[in-house]
Amino acid sequence: MTERFRAGDRVLTSRADPLHHTRLPRYARGATGTVVELEGRYPLPDDRSRGLPAAPEAVYAVRFSAAELFGAGDHQVTLALWESYLRPFPGRGQANE
Amino acid sequence: MSRINDVGGMQGFAPAGQELDEPPFHADWEAHVFAMNRALIGRGAYNLDEFRDAIERMPPQEYLAASYYERWFHAITVLLVEKGVLTAQEVSGD
Amino acid sequence: MSDHHGGPGHGLAARVRHVEALLEQRGLIDSGELDRALEAYLTRASPANGARLVARAWLDEGFRSRLLADANAALPELGLSMGGGMQEQRLKVVANTEATHNVIVCTLCSCYPIALLGPSPTWYKSESYRSRVVRDPRGVLGEFGFAPGPDVEIVVWDSTAESRYLVLPRRPAGTGELGEAELAALVTRNGLIGVAAV
Repeated sequence: MTERFRAGDRVLTSRADPLHHTRLPRYARGATGTVVELEGRYPLPDDRSRGLPAAPEAVYAVRFSAAELFGAGDHQVTLALWESYLRPFPGRGQANE
Repeated sequence: MSRINDVGGMQGFAPAGQELDEPPFHADWEAHVFAMNRALIGRGAYNLDEFRDAIERMPPQEYLAASYYERWFHAITVLLVEKGVLTAQEVSGD
Repeated sequence: MSDHHGGPGHGLAARVRHVEALLEQRGLIDSGELDRALEAYLTRASPANGARLVARAWLDEGFRSRLLADANAALPELGLSMGGGMQEQRLKVVANTEATHNVIVCTLCSCYPIALLGPSPTWYKSESYRSRVVRDPRGVLGEFGFAPGPDVEIVVWDSTAESRYLVLPRRPAGTGELGEAELAALVTRNGLIGVAAV
């Protein structure tokens, strides 16, 4: 199984606000960032926390500018994000988002 | 809405001081809670993601008022009852 | 509800003992397991471990490269590992440079490289740190008495998955004559988290 993203790829995080456990923080939802590296493959905690089957899935270190996340700041924030939380940017239909 | 633990970027929290030479546990019961959780996860009573989920499901006011290991103990007891390991009556000792 | 300072208000200590006794009676935990869990946490895990990694990296360019490329593979060279907890975590060591300063947080809970830093301090687990360092790292670092220069870019690492991050501080000036143990003694837990220079 190959990973969907590589270092340098631009990605957009999900805007979903699930009622279950997740590891995509609110402050990084609907944000565009750059993949730094593949961190490994791990089962999705959204599923593991609900007793659902969870096959390992790629997790990436993704870097965002503070301006992108908060509208201000000169720093960067790197988060470790499961592939399920990400989609390519730009992607199809995103001109309307 | 997001859960109360998801505080990244949230405004309004005052700076927390540093405690010099802080011990890992401030009371004996904290060490027992720590060890109990490790043992229960090790034995497969629940997994780490379920444990975090149980903490996150605390009512917001309770979460913010609770100390770190109080949150852990809350999660442990909630999970033990939800998993049918203990009954709520057994946990409360009534 | 709980006492504000987490003391045994409302009989919390008694409730903990009660639940532990029930679990032991049912054979669901035993005191040996409890002792072992505590021992790993309290004695083998320590910031001295992280400090040793840093000192070796400062002295040995090859080790530094290996540490930055694959920290889990490099740890055994110093007899260290990320095991001893619930599962072996991936370690990612992030190096401070003249242009970049790194700082670590877990905004969602309290994830922390315990094996290399020992138990985490309360401030690291506080809503105050977790909420503020991603948004205003310079402000938070200033409260710790540390002010990276304006040309230094700050990178915050939020431990949202299975990796645990450790900062490799810059070697202080004027330490060229120091041996490995003396160098390790310069490294603080705060430096390894990134709220201090070293």
